[in-house]
Amino acid sequence: MSQAYAIQPRDERTQPARIVAGYPQTMLRAPAEPLVKRAPTLSELTGPLQVARRVQLLGGDIAGHGAKQAIGQVIRLRVRVIDEDGAPLPGTVVEMWQANAAGRYIHPNDDDHAPVDANFYGAARLVTGESGAFELRTVKPGAYPVPTRDGWWRPPHVHFSLFGKVWLSRLVTQMYFPGEPLNAQDRILNAVPDAAARERLVAKYVPPTGEPYNELLFEHEIVLRGRKSTPVQP
Amino acid sequence: MTRTVPTGEATIGPFFPPRYVDAGANDLTQLEGRPARGQPIEIFGRVVQEDGSPLENLVVEIWQADPAGIYRHPADPRHAQADPDFLGWGRTATDKEGVYRFRTILPGAAPGRLPHVNVMLMFSGLMRILKTAVYFELGADPVLDAVPAARRSLLVAKKDGEGRYRFDIRLRGAGETPFFDD
Repeated sequence: MSQAYAIQPRDERTQPARIVAGYPQTMLRAPAEPLVKRAPTLSELTGPLQVARRVQLLGGDIAGHGAKQAIGQVIRLRVRVIDEDGAPLPGTVVEMWQANAAGRYIHPNDDDHAPVDANFYGAARLVTGESGAFELRTVKPGAYPVPTRDGWWRPPHVHFSLFGKVWLSRLVTQMYFPGEPLNAQDRILNAVPDAAARERLVAKYVPPTGEPYNELLFEHEIVLRGRKSTPVQP
Repeated sequence: MTRTVPTGEATIGPFFPPRYVDAGANDLTQLEGRPARGQPIEIFGRVVQEDGSPLENLVVEIWQADPAGIYRHPADPRHAQADPDFLGWGRTATDKEGVYRFRTILPGAAPGRLPHVNVMLMFSGLMRILKTAVYFELGADPVLDAVPAARRSLLVAKKDGEGRYRFDIRLRGAGETPFFDD
């Protein structure tokens, strides 16, 4: 029996502008021709469901323990992945990466503005559980200055890559932290015109209950496709 | 220690971590050591931006049908007959010359479609995921037909020897690759 999957059009206002003032690379890379509208066929309304057989799962605890614990504020991210109808997406591969607590990535192109942490690689890869949920134990990423050196700093953020059920539900996005002053001036977050859509990129802070006593908890929801979809963030 | 600094560019990210692109994730011709059915082919090409300069570490993913034109997904009415040793998905990143490479299987035609491979691109400075498709010849196909006629041939790979297909991608400017709005 086949299980057809329908998708709704995106609301453009919930997605970032393709060319962003003050982000020079966007002007060399955003297509200039109008994007081609197509009616999706089976080819686009199917997609890889077994990515975990091709890539290595890295687990969801990247803060480390004991002598191998990363420097920084230990946080726990409790994230739920749903589709545009609100249905949970179990069994989908989630990839996450972030800077260390000083705002430095393990990446050959990141410059020497801040130190590397030998106990922090900064990437996780796991599969969502039955309710579309997953948890990550990590350290809070630091902000970092963008190499444009014109006052643009990226606020603390975590990158997520998700697959969903079909090719057209593929999403790469970022999650931001509530109450960060740098959120208001970030050129990538604010490339999304709709304020409510930007709000959906910001995690919720959960007041500590003492359990566990040494982790700060944030909750977040990621919606693949539809009018309430989480905006793409590069 | 020598460091490679991107020429004329302030890299902003997204800093896909090196482990994001697993070794072997660009080889769709086998799954866990078992060979897939069909004709192995290589699809490769160079990705450039508006000024023609190649882009390094740009992430490319593909999704395609097996040689019988079946998608490994429950939405395909024939999915039970899909090749069990063909995942249909792969990922790689461009090298210093901007070149990506996949080893895959020549896809069959799904009902109503020409054989094709779906392609998606993710990179620093790309505010959205870019989606396109590579074909092996021109012909009647609802997705190809949606592309303005003068630009359709830009989606056809050039044969470059036996079983080798070259599909160059230009993100912006003269000869720009058609991308889909979805």
